[in-house]
Amino acid sequence: MIRALAIGFLIAVLLAALLPARYEKQFRDSPNAGPSRQFPLGTDDLGRDRLSRLIYGTRVSLLLATAAALLSCAVAAALGGIAGLGIADTVIVGAADLFLSLPWLFLLLMVRACLPLNVSPMVSVTITFLLLGALGWAAPARVVRAAVRKLSVSDFMLQARATGCPQWRLLWRHLMPNAMPILLAQLWITIPAYVLAESTLGMLGLGVMEPLPSWGNLLRELEGGGIAGHPWLLAPVLLLAAVVGSFQAVVEREDYSV
Amino acid sequence: MTRSLLQLRISVEYARKRVLNDVSLEVAEGEILGLVGRSGEGKSTIALSILGLLALKGGRCEGEILYRDWDLLKLHPREMRRLRGKDIGLVPQSPLAALNPNVRLGSQLKEAWRAHERGEPDWKPLLESVSLPAEESFLRQYPRNLSVGLAQRFLIAMAVLHNPSLLIADEATSALDTITQAEILGLFRRLNQSRGIAILYISHDLASVASLCHRVAILHQGEIVECNSVDEVFLNPQHPYTKQLIDAIPQLPTVGASAMESGLARR
Repeated sequence: MIRALAIGFLIAVLLAALLPARYEKQFRDSPNAGPSRQFPLGTDDLGRDRLSRLIYGTRVSLLLATAAALLSCAVAAALGGIAGLGIADTVIVGAADLFLSLPWLFLLLMVRACLPLNVSPMVSVTITFLLLGALGWAAPARVVRAAVRKLSVSDFMLQARATGCPQWRLLWRHLMPNAMPILLAQLWITIPAYVLAESTLGMLGLGVMEPLPSWGNLLRELEGGGIAGHPWLLAPVLLLAAVVGSFQAVVEREDYSV
Repeated sequence: MTRSLLQLRISVEYARKRVLNDVSLEVAEGEILGLVGRSGEGKSTIALSILGLLALKGGRCEGEILYRDWDLLKLHPREMRRLRGKDIGLVPQSPLAALNPNVRLGSQLKEAWRAHERGEPDWKPLLESVSLPAEESFLRQYPRNLSVGLAQRFLIAMAVLHNPSLLIADEATSALDTITQAEILGLFRRLNQSRGIAILYISHDLASVASLCHRVAILHQGEIVECNSVDEVFLNPQHPYTKQLIDAIPQLPTVGASAMESGLARR
């Protein structure tokens, strides 16, 4: 039930994110307006419609997080896969452990701070995408490595070898179909993690740059106690929490209780 | 004397620990040789050594394994791969674990065929020869839909797909209930008689060995302690370990002796 609701909600958010939204249009007559029929979530300092910005920001955040998750899972599949097969295992596992031992968020902040800050919105999106994609491979790579290792010594792989199956078909027909669900699960749990990471970077001004909206830079409005008397400013926070929660709720959980 | 098909003399180490010490075995063309020993004595190690797959388990094999005119230990990996499945088939211990859980039976059969041949043959005669349903719907199933007995028949079908000269049955009946076990033993006997396939039947179960094999080799502490015809080993065991194994065969409390006799007579 909760799972169906979560799936429904995510689909609704995805569809809503595709609605036309003039995120950059300024209504100079009514800056800082409260909710009204014309502006359901009011307008910001520059007179831009908050709802339009939220809709477009959802599109930017989800797209960016998904693309970055695809990138890091592709890296994880490649590195974890070859390590699992016993090639350069020590080096790859060592590198993954090194990455995992660093506090991820601080690493993100540090690397981002080293890169140019005064850049165009599209460049900022690209930098955030590459940053998340390149720094997040370690955890999924370890999972993929463990899975490939387990699969490659499994009975059915041994049996396939005993039938004379050539090496590449062994990988393509026997290993891949069994490693794929594990990789897809990693992809699915990486997306909400990256949504949160992008929001954190954005809120600190290190993510997607204005005027392009994202959940991260929409949260900047909450800085300095702007929330008092303006509860509608919480809309991006609620949406963020609901989407991240829904991603988690979609994953099927094993019941370990006895 | 029939021609020798397989002749081996090997020593095997795992991480510098020797598990097989100068073990010699010989299987003649069309013969069923039983290899008996307790769990962990290195029976499966011999099977993996013959198939050239010991390195997967981190083992190192020395000596020679003569199969027809080739020394398998000196064969190029590519040639060894061509031999596996085509000339030497393997029937494993755990049938359900030995089938790829995410691939349909038909595709697995096709995969095993394509490892050595092109195209796709008619599966019907093959499936019928191992008493499996020959319908299309059977081949569309996944391994999880099979019972252990059906899965083992399917694996035997896969192992004899290319009409090999030697079949290695590594504890192939150990995981089966007694009725299914008897059926599978009957199937081995039939394949041996109709196609002349030699079988290296590895087992810890002496009773099944007695009902199937022509000769028995007893493996104990990394060495072959006795190798002789089934009658000789069962009626006149030489080594104390062999006697211990025979004494350990479970018997029904009252009808034990007569059941044992009729079992031997049936063979």
